[in-house]
Amino acid sequence: MRAHYVPPAQFETFLDPEAAVWKEAGREELKLEGTPLGMQLTAHIRAAWAGRKIGSVARASVAAVHDGQVLAFRLEWSAANGGREPADNHEFTDGAAVVLPSSAGAPIITMGAPGMAVNAWYWRADDERARHVVAEGLGSSRTVDVELVRGRGTWKDGRWCVVIARALRVDTQEPIAQLEPGAETGFGVAVWDGNHGERAGIKAFSGPLWHELQLDAVPETTR
Amino acid sequence: MEKPDRQLAMVMDLNKCIGCQTCTIACKRLWTRDEGMEYMWWNSVNTQPGRGTPRDWEEMGGGFRDGTAVPGKLPTRKDFGEAWEFNHEEVFFGGKGDKVHLKVKGEEPDWGPNWDEDQGAGEYPNAYYFYLPRICNHCTHPACLEACPRKAIVKREEDGIVLIDEDRCRGYRFCMEACPYKKIYFNHAEKVSQKCIFCFPRIEQGVANACARQCPGRVRFLGYRDDEEGPIWKLVDKWKAALPLHPEYGTDPNVFYVPPLAPPRFDENGDVDESKPRIPDEYLVSLFGPKVLDVLALMKSEMAKTRAGEKSELMDLLIAYRWKDMFGGFDRDPATIEWVKS
Ligand code: SF4
Ligand code: SF4
Repeated sequence: MRAHYVPPAQFETFLDPEAAVWKEAGREELKLEGTPLGMQLTAHIRAAWAGRKIGSVARASVAAVHDGQVLAFRLEWSAANGGREPADNHEFTDGAAVVLPSSAGAPIITMGAPGMAVNAWYWRADDERARHVVAEGLGSSRTVDVELVRGRGTWKDGRWCVVIARALRVDTQEPIAQLEPGAETGFGVAVWDGNHGERAGIKAFSGPLWHELQLDAVPETTR
Repeated sequence: MEKPDRQLAMVMDLNKCIGCQTCTIACKRLWTRDEGMEYMWWNSVNTQPGRGTPRDWEEMGGGFRDGTAVPGKLPTRKDFGEAWEFNHEEVFFGGKGDKVHLKVKGEEPDWGPNWDEDQGAGEYPNAYYFYLPRICNHCTHPACLEACPRKAIVKREEDGIVLIDEDRCRGYRFCMEACPYKKIYFNHAEKVSQKCIFCFPRIEQGVANACARQCPGRVRFLGYRDDEEGPIWKLVDKWKAALPLHPEYGTDPNVFYVPPLAPPRFDENGDVDESKPRIPDEYLVSLFGPKVLDVLALMKSEMAKTRAGEKSELMDLLIAYRWKDMFGGFDRDPATIEWVKS
């Protein structure tokens, strides 16, 4: 997938899934699959989900743009309702994340490995803030900050449109993905269907291998 | 999970519980007054037989069978019973006190934490019931802890108290599903799970849990499992007079119960019938396992001893002549401490 270059814009601009910048970006349909039962972290979760469908969202349409400063992803998928605040104990919220390798060779299927982190940008419908998450293996995810990644979702006509964005490069010691125009990296996405009780490792994801992400170079004339 | 060095435990003598809910309120006042905690009762006292709190919790699964995790259900807020708001203003102010009566505002509830209070079972004159106070059991094999994919639940090494780390908790509620005692509550304001903390800030100062110290019935004993001078070891291990609730749930609880004896039955002629107990054995076995029959036999024989003028250490313990002896050394008066809210 290409992350299309767009002329420099305010961070806010990207967060509107209806914004003009998104018209230019080519969308890609990603097939999603449920995370394997055997990889769920605890015996209780495996017992509770044995024989149940994991990953109820089968596909998502994904687009990406950058303006030399900010990289933004737009995810769209169909969802029966856009309930944000779960009102009862057995109700959960929809969510979505983009995951990027922090270093070459980090495995996506296990959400990284010790010393080989992956970096997730995580949005949840009931949370104003998006989370900037680092993981070095299943169950090791930790939020490194709630400021750098911004996310915004709108639910309309049975579809979620969610934008998740962050500056290409950020100043931190944390093992996060540092990006640059013209570079190529991998990416993956995950979608949680709260209505279906999905949370944590129970989710739909874009598969065990990285998808390619090619960031456009910044055109000469604008440099 | 490492096995803790020591384990704190509680014994509750069901023969003495009068269902006054002082324990419940002591806990509520101390720990669950914030927003999002309105419906929480970390300590609950239900009438048995009954549907309990949350409603029908014994049918919600969770825990382990033969060491294998059993899927569980998430109790709804209605199952627990919402925190009702009452029309106090209407009744107490404005001169309408003789026309309106106290009632729950809004939708009329059809369940609450003590909806079936004092109903019990059996037919007159052989009706029966007893009270069952419950807190988190701070289990040795805590299903809540093992279910959490974020390792947000810890069992403290120094005393075995099971606590949720609210900074790690992301509100996934697998613990709530997995706890077979349904003693995890979800805080919808904070979006984290919460539960009984065994009053650890008190314990750390040598003060007994609020539920134990406030109990007017002298129902609750406290202490370390392995303290041979304390009441827990004596009641649970030496005398084997206290049993966990639903041992078949496989979590190895650290709250134990002295099972309730009941008066004898009456036969059709109204004569005392000693042949059958008022509370059916099967019912107590369904709660405490088959060992409950041994405990009841033991209690009867120890009671007979005291009637015959002999001494019984077990009866002395259960009577709890000296209030402070119930707390396994955690008998400091909380009024002697200057508490600071952090
Ligand atoms: S009673 Fe439930 S919440 Fe308490 S330790 Fe046991 S499993 Fe966990
Ligand atoms: S305070 Fe004591 S007597 Fe009263 S309900 Fe609680 S355990 Fe029973």
